[in-house]
Amino acid sequence: MKRETFEHFQGLPDAPLAMPKQSLERQSVLFDFFRSVFLPWPREKRLRG
Amino acid sequence: MTPSGTTGVVWLRIVLLTLAGAASLAAGLVFLDLIGGNRPSGLDIVRALLLTLTGFWLVWGGLAGLIGAFIPGGRFRRTLQRPQGKTVVLIPVYNENPIETFSRIAAMNRQVVDKGLADLFHFAILSDTTSLEVATQEAVAFERLAQEREAAGRIFYRRREINTGKKAGNIEDFVARSGGAYDYAVILDADSLMEADTLAAMALRMDADPELGLLQTVPVVIGAGSVFGRMMAFSSAYLSPYFARGGALLQGNEGPYWGHNAIIRLRAFAACCGLPVLSGRPPYGGHILSHDYVEAALLARGGWKVGVAPDLGGSYEEGPENLIEYAKRDRRWCQGNLQHRRLLNAPGLKAWSRFTLLQGIMAYLASPLWLLLVITSVFAGIFPDRGGDRWGATPWLIGAGVIATLLIPKLAILLRGIFDGHNRRFGSSGQVVLSVIAEVVLSTILAPVLLAMQTRAVVQILLGLDGGWPATARDAAAVSVRTAFAASWWIVLLAFGTIGFLSLAAPAYLPWLLPVAIPATLAPFTIALTSLGDGRIARNWVFTMPSEIAPSPVILESRRILDSWRTTGQIAVTEPLLGVTHARA
Repeated sequence: MKRETFEHFQGLPDAPLAMPKQSLERQSVLFDFFRSVFLPWPREKRLRG
Repeated sequence: MTPSGTTGVVWLRIVLLTLAGAASLAAGLVFLDLIGGNRPSGLDIVRALLLTLTGFWLVWGGLAGLIGAFIPGGRFRRTLQRPQGKTVVLIPVYNENPIETFSRIAAMNRQVVDKGLADLFHFAILSDTTSLEVATQEAVAFERLAQEREAAGRIFYRRREINTGKKAGNIEDFVARSGGAYDYAVILDADSLMEADTLAAMALRMDADPELGLLQTVPVVIGAGSVFGRMMAFSSAYLSPYFARGGALLQGNEGPYWGHNAIIRLRAFAACCGLPVLSGRPPYGGHILSHDYVEAALLARGGWKVGVAPDLGGSYEEGPENLIEYAKRDRRWCQGNLQHRRLLNAPGLKAWSRFTLLQGIMAYLASPLWLLLVITSVFAGIFPDRGGDRWGATPWLIGAGVIATLLIPKLAILLRGIFDGHNRRFGSSGQVVLSVIAEVVLSTILAPVLLAMQTRAVVQILLGLDGGWPATARDAAAVSVRTAFAASWWIVLLAFGTIGFLSLAAPAYLPWLLPVAIPATLAPFTIALTSLGDGRIARNWVFTMPSEIAPSPVILESRRILDSWRTTGQIAVTEPLLGVTHARA
């Protein structure tokens, strides 16, 4: 029996289909506003105190 | 593109949502009258709100089953027509038993070849297996599969060494590299099995409706042996199609995708379903775990129809054989569904898709909410009654309402089966009546245990903790009392603690707690006992299924192949195959 050596996707059709990444997260204007008012400093700095 | 959902569907949704809302609100008000009269305390109001909220989802689920029981069932007719489009059957695998999975693929392939559809259906096994031992077995089993008729150039195997994006990433990897060669892809799980007629029928429906982006079948659980497994299998074969039929009517063109036993239009899927990595850390950030619901929502957002086909038979899967395995799977699904909280306000989603995501979240949040209702009710027992005037509602009224919500859909399905002859496929109406009664009794006994386990899963996920389940032997159905106790001792402790507390603080309320607390105290025994059995004894009495009385050709073929492969032994590994990404052309 013939054995294949390592070769990625050997035998599978080489027919790429683009899968663009979808956008699923929405920036919350309200959240951003509160964050900018109450947390004007970066989170990392705040934690370091 | 057709506007999403016809006017009729939208009206049906409005009517049923109103009905569920009204029924749960009425239950909440009656409950409030019962516990607080016209002088309710804050705790009384919280309890009534909890009952209203959890009751809504209970009624909503029941209504889907009820309308499903009254919809005329379409009959799947086999056809000799050949599909136009070319389909690849994708089987993502992850450390499953290769001999079992690959023998099922061999059975499907033999049917496809026999029906002269070999040029239209290819198979691709997409391995994300991490165990080197299992990977070796996969390579060996593939050698076997590659000897099947017309396998060359039609049956492929490849293994990723880095499992980016898990199952969704596995499929995305295939689509990005080879998706352009096919019109459709049937997505299966490692334990899925499908008749060639069903594969062809799905492709024909995609051919017939160029706007259809995804078509989901309702798989029936087969191969169950234990009491627990057979109960789940009976439920999936007898009850689920009616619930799915009702659900399909409500969902319209924004139907469900359960991640397997479905066909997708590859170009639509590629254009709409490239999943992003969510910002932040798990459990809410990172890769999307329950990708199927999200992909269905994204297809609908892209203007494609997502349909469900409860009339299509010949679609099978296997299920967990005991409650511990079920709870492990449930915990994964729980995390995936809770992650959807991040996506409820995703831009452009159809309103119904958002509702479906919310429904998935509530399916898991319902358990802690029910438990919270029990806990608040226990504590309420120690406070004196404020003496408000009552209309005269009794606890029996609330109890009867909950029982009716749970039982009426099943009763309607049972009656329909008696009159339309459907029950004969399950033996006889007598056997079905016994089976439904057994299903109701068993699920009632197991409900408190499942409720506790789901609650623990939700709390763990919210706290970012890992579960640490006791290991069970692979493929073993039977669970010892010792293992069951290791998984459920905390439920027993909690139940005894609550009984003890209420006995001292408010003994008059104890009888209302016992129907929940007693099954919880017996959790290790019920888990162990329901994991027993190989199906042979009970087969003639309860949970008899059509797949046992008259197994479909692909089930018989897959069993024959599995037996033959097991009998003749495995092909020896003659050269290093580990870590090989391997395709057979």
